[in-house]
Amino acid sequence: MPIAMPNLIPVMPELVMTGVAIILLMAELVIKRKETLGFLSLISVGLISYLLLGSAGTTFGGMFVSDGYSTFFKLIFMANLVLTVLISPKYLQTMRINFGEYYALTLFATLGMMLMASAADIIVLYLGLELMALSTYVLAGFIRYDMKSNEAAIKYLLLGAFASAILLYGTSLIYGLTGTTNLRDIAVYITHNGLAKNPLLMVSMIFFAVAFSFKIAAVPFHMWAPDAYEGAPTPITAFMSVGPKAAGFAVLGRVFLVAFGSVKTDWSVILIPIAVLTMAIGNILALSQTNIKRMLAYSSIAHAGYMLLGIIAGTPAGISSVLNYMFIYAFMNIGAFAIVIMLRTEGFAGEDISDYEGLGKTHPTAAALMLVFMFSLTGIPPMAGFMGKFYLFMSAINAGYTWIVIVAVLFSAISAYFYLRIVMLMYMKEPKEVIQLNTSPGIGLALAVTVSAVILIGILPAKVLALAQQAVTSF
Amino acid sequence: MLQQLFFGYYAFMIIILSLLVVTRGNPVHSVMWMLLLFFHIAGLYLFLNAEFIAAIQVIVYAGAILVLFLFVVLLLNLREELSLRQIAGSWPAAFFIVAALFITVTAALGAYVQGPVGSYSIEAIRSETHTKALGRLLYTEYLFPFEIASLILLVAVVGAVVLAKRKLRS
Amino acid sequence: MNSYALIPFLPLAAFVINILFGRKYLKENAHWVSILAVAGSWVLAVMALVDVLGGNTINFDLYTWMLSGGFKVSVGFLIDQLTVVMLIVVTTCSTLIHIYSVGYMHGDSGYYRFFAYLSLFTFSMLMLVMANNFLQLYFGWEGVGLCSYFLIGYYFNKKSASDAGKKAFIVNRFGDFGFGLGIFVVFLTFGTVYYEPVFSQAGGLAEATFNFLGYDVHLMTLIALLLFCGSVGKSAQIPLHVWLPDAMEGPTPVSALIHAATMVTAGVFLVARCSPIFSLSETALMVVALTGAITSLFAATIGLVQNDLKRIIAYSTVSQLGYMFLACGVGAYTAGIFHLYTHAFFKALLFLCAGSVMHAMGGELDIQKMGNLKKYMPVTYMTMLIASFSISGIPGLAGFFSKDEILWMAYAGESPVGKFVWAIGTLVAFLTAFYSFRLIFLTFHGKFRGTHDQEHHLHESPKSMTIPLMLLCVGAVAAGWVGIPALIGEKIGVHNYIAEFMKPVLGHPEGHGTHAEEMVVMLISIAVGLAGIGLAYFMYILRPELPARLAQQLSAVYRVLFNKYYVDELYSFIIVRPAIWIAKNVLIGITDARIIEAVVNGVPSAIAAFSSGLRKIQTGLMQHYATIMATGILIIVAIMLLR
Repeated sequence: MPIAMPNLIPVMPELVMTGVAIILLMAELVIKRKETLGFLSLISVGLISYLLLGSAGTTFGGMFVSDGYSTFFKLIFMANLVLTVLISPKYLQTMRINFGEYYALTLFATLGMMLMASAADIIVLYLGLELMALSTYVLAGFIRYDMKSNEAAIKYLLLGAFASAILLYGTSLIYGLTGTTNLRDIAVYITHNGLAKNPLLMVSMIFFAVAFSFKIAAVPFHMWAPDAYEGAPTPITAFMSVGPKAAGFAVLGRVFLVAFGSVKTDWSVILIPIAVLTMAIGNILALSQTNIKRMLAYSSIAHAGYMLLGIIAGTPAGISSVLNYMFIYAFMNIGAFAIVIMLRTEGFAGEDISDYEGLGKTHPTAAALMLVFMFSLTGIPPMAGFMGKFYLFMSAINAGYTWIVIVAVLFSAISAYFYLRIVMLMYMKEPKEVIQLNTSPGIGLALAVTVSAVILIGILPAKVLALAQQAVTSF
Repeated sequence: MLQQLFFGYYAFMIIILSLLVVTRGNPVHSVMWMLLLFFHIAGLYLFLNAEFIAAIQVIVYAGAILVLFLFVVLLLNLREELSLRQIAGSWPAAFFIVAALFITVTAALGAYVQGPVGSYSIEAIRSETHTKALGRLLYTEYLFPFEIASLILLVAVVGAVVLAKRKLRS
Repeated sequence: MNSYALIPFLPLAAFVINILFGRKYLKENAHWVSILAVAGSWVLAVMALVDVLGGNTINFDLYTWMLSGGFKVSVGFLIDQLTVVMLIVVTTCSTLIHIYSVGYMHGDSGYYRFFAYLSLFTFSMLMLVMANNFLQLYFGWEGVGLCSYFLIGYYFNKKSASDAGKKAFIVNRFGDFGFGLGIFVVFLTFGTVYYEPVFSQAGGLAEATFNFLGYDVHLMTLIALLLFCGSVGKSAQIPLHVWLPDAMEGPTPVSALIHAATMVTAGVFLVARCSPIFSLSETALMVVALTGAITSLFAATIGLVQNDLKRIIAYSTVSQLGYMFLACGVGAYTAGIFHLYTHAFFKALLFLCAGSVMHAMGGELDIQKMGNLKKYMPVTYMTMLIASFSISGIPGLAGFFSKDEILWMAYAGESPVGKFVWAIGTLVAFLTAFYSFRLIFLTFHGKFRGTHDQEHHLHESPKSMTIPLMLLCVGAVAAGWVGIPALIGEKIGVHNYIAEFMKPVLGHPEGHGTHAEEMVVMLISIAVGLAGIGLAYFMYILRPELPARLAQQLSAVYRVLFNKYYVDELYSFIIVRPAIWIAKNVLIGITDARIIEAVVNGVPSAIAAFSSGLRKIQTGLMQHYATIMATGILIIVAIMLLR
């Protein structure tokens, strides 16, 4: 039987990523300075980003599709990867966990995300998700001597397995009903055979919603997030708060709009309470946190709630505003985490919110940067966060969900309290003790990139938005 | 009728055995129940005319993995922890919720409509042989997922190495 | 590019320079940067005034921020008659208060920081008044709120100061929520956020309705009331007035600039700016008028019995802001803005005098512990006296003309509640005169009641403080001369310049009364002012034992007033404490899985067993997480299937 060579151009970025990851694994044996591995992965990201731009196409019998939508998400993953690699080395040295596998695993996790963004078939989607998840579980538990890190990994692993099981259940139901796992074929079968009102289809859809909600940390499937975020090494927390969430949104958008596009009214009924609860619980619980990583965990839960609004809107404007927001969110969130990392020195965690007291006096630059990120997360113009929220809310209003936007605005007003509390502590309090900043050129560069992105996108938002709008025209 | 009985027996036993695995106090007992569980799963595969997978199930899982489990359990010498309760106190409520979920989903199953059946009917498999059909699919239609799965295994190995290294700190 | 764009950006540059170089390089010289910048803005503002007087209205976009579909956001400036008045008020007050702060803040450890914030505030305020679209207005609005928060909490080591900052911020969130929604509705309705198209299209939508949750709401009323929510918060009107008296924890120049002359008047400015919308809704105007009237009465009565020097003036501010809303509510926007303008001078002056007194008294604020200060501080005494005369409506001074204009417009206007709010306004005029002079008499007259130490230290403030006082005093006297009513103006040959000037933007409703009526209204307002002063003189100079006796006899009334009608306690009881309670018990309860634990563990004994087991197993809550997930799935499945 002849075996036709599949078209490899669309998967070229993924292939290169795989190759680099495997090379890094082997190079780890001979390279003593582990930072070199980080540097290598940065170079490879450059190459992959270049390949991404010319990768449009469908391959492997329609299982893998590289379109504007997937490319936009992959650019977010690349940004996420670069920033994570930049903020990692110093932290790894400080924590004395400077093992080379770290970089290979972040690459594998990112590969998983890329596969998810491009998956046009539930099987590829599931495998990409598992690849991402498995790598992230290990990374979360990377500080092996630390109980909290172990706890983070084991909780994330077990609950993640639970979510995967739900996803597989949903997949088996949809396969039984439609006889296919291809997203487009599913959509066609549902409309042609009048399955739209079938309760079993509903159950399957719910299971998909649940599994993806878990990945984006939406309430009530968010329970793992605060524990995992708190315990994981901080650069990985930053990585997890952006990458898997973005990948979750990528598959949520594609599965629900492509495969379940004909039953939109039904799934918006599922997603609306999830979105509202997510905004409520995320914002309200963030208020009472004393640990900054936990606070940022709840904050990232809340942001998932805002982004769900765009999915619920379901219009091209809605989806593009989700893409736009995710892009902005990557920069502002990792920027905030970079500051958290800088406060960590040997023997000093720097993770209490009270550690930020008087930072404006002792380290004015770091405090000013943190202020920019907190403002952006709150959604105060002219920071990018405002633009992101603005487009999200506009798209939801235009789609007729005014009352949810009112709720969202209300909760984002509440969020001002805990973000600006940090600002207040930094500028309005006297420093308790002298805090040493653990800086490195990598963190400096990451901060420069994130802060300029947050401000530039805030002032000139049109470029990114246009890119996002272009990205969603493909489906 | 016989088919249904056959399936019913295996499905029921799989649930019972799974419960036994997770509720035993002694890990060695758990592993033993798991062995039996794997045999029953293999039985279900046979029932689906998937004799190759059934064989792999027995050889790889029951033969290799379980023996490793047993080694680990014996090496760890878990005498002190044997008295630990395996289930935290909340199980009645959890059981209630999961049971309710099970009932609801089962009720929804009533609405099942058979989707289109694929080209691999029992006759087709019999004529081509199961192993060959499986191999062909894996290397043509499902080549891509197959390769991703291999990466997952790689990550699992790397992860295991990372988490089990003797050196805690660099 | 238009050079007027520099008006807000000069203070912004000063802020940037001070915040970057203040701590290390500028230190004690930080004020120079800020003062020069604000003075520069003032010069440009005057040029703008000349330009607008010449009949030009300037409207230009400096820079387009984003453009998507029909939606456009830009940094753009509209300089018309209304803007120019605000520009003069803001830059004049800001310049003088900057200069005053040089003496007042001398030697403070955060000297550069103070000036940086002050400049940032000036920038935000100028952006607010110069905006040509709602979004920029909102930007300035939030900016001034943030600066206010920073500056109230400037003495952050003092718990009451940081609490006051928080209170101001949180209370304002309530108002801003409505304001934000209002802008959303404006955009939904008009498809743009620019004043020009919005106001020109508003007339065509006068009868439009908006379906909200099944109710048909009159669109213009809805927009006007939502925008008014923002005004209520920012301008400290009932029921959101509670933050302003507490905001007095900030340094006194801040109280003068932000909490008297400029920021708090932004609410009035907003109503005036949106007068084309407000005028289309009788309901909204009535709400504005009544809110203003009730607030002014409410705050004035509280002011009668307070003993804290700055708080009395703060309540007076709330009361006078109420006056301005009252004016806008009866359609007399010009009168409201006129009062805003005169009020800025005499109220800033009152605050700066209070600051001067504090300076001399070593931070003491209790007027019961002062007395006879006129002997030691003649300049402060004279200027404060003139300001008090001005606020009491003594003929010829600034306050008289604007107050009289408001009362006459209320009386003679078309508003259905006009007569009623006129009556309240007249009563408030009486109360205002009374508490203003109670303050004067207790502070500057009689015997000194403070400690010996304090008496020893009494001294007049330095030149940098007294010169701004004198300059503002000129304003408190003469600012009103641009708005002399026709009744008097005809006789001395001057026009009501401000009314004519503002007519193109705000219109000028003609009163429906006769000259005789106008004369009576004016005489009544003069009479009640004098009566208030006279009563204060009687009670605090002639019969100083009387107030205490009165307080005893009317102890119930006195206590209610002294405790500000218990509004803070009421809010604490119905909002703050329940919110904290919910946060503490319900929500933290969820994190600790207490509630979940209780739900999940039907059997109490199981709870005990579980919690002890919890300590042994690090990952004890895992099962709960999974249970919660399963519960979530169950609920969703059940809802979807039973639907």
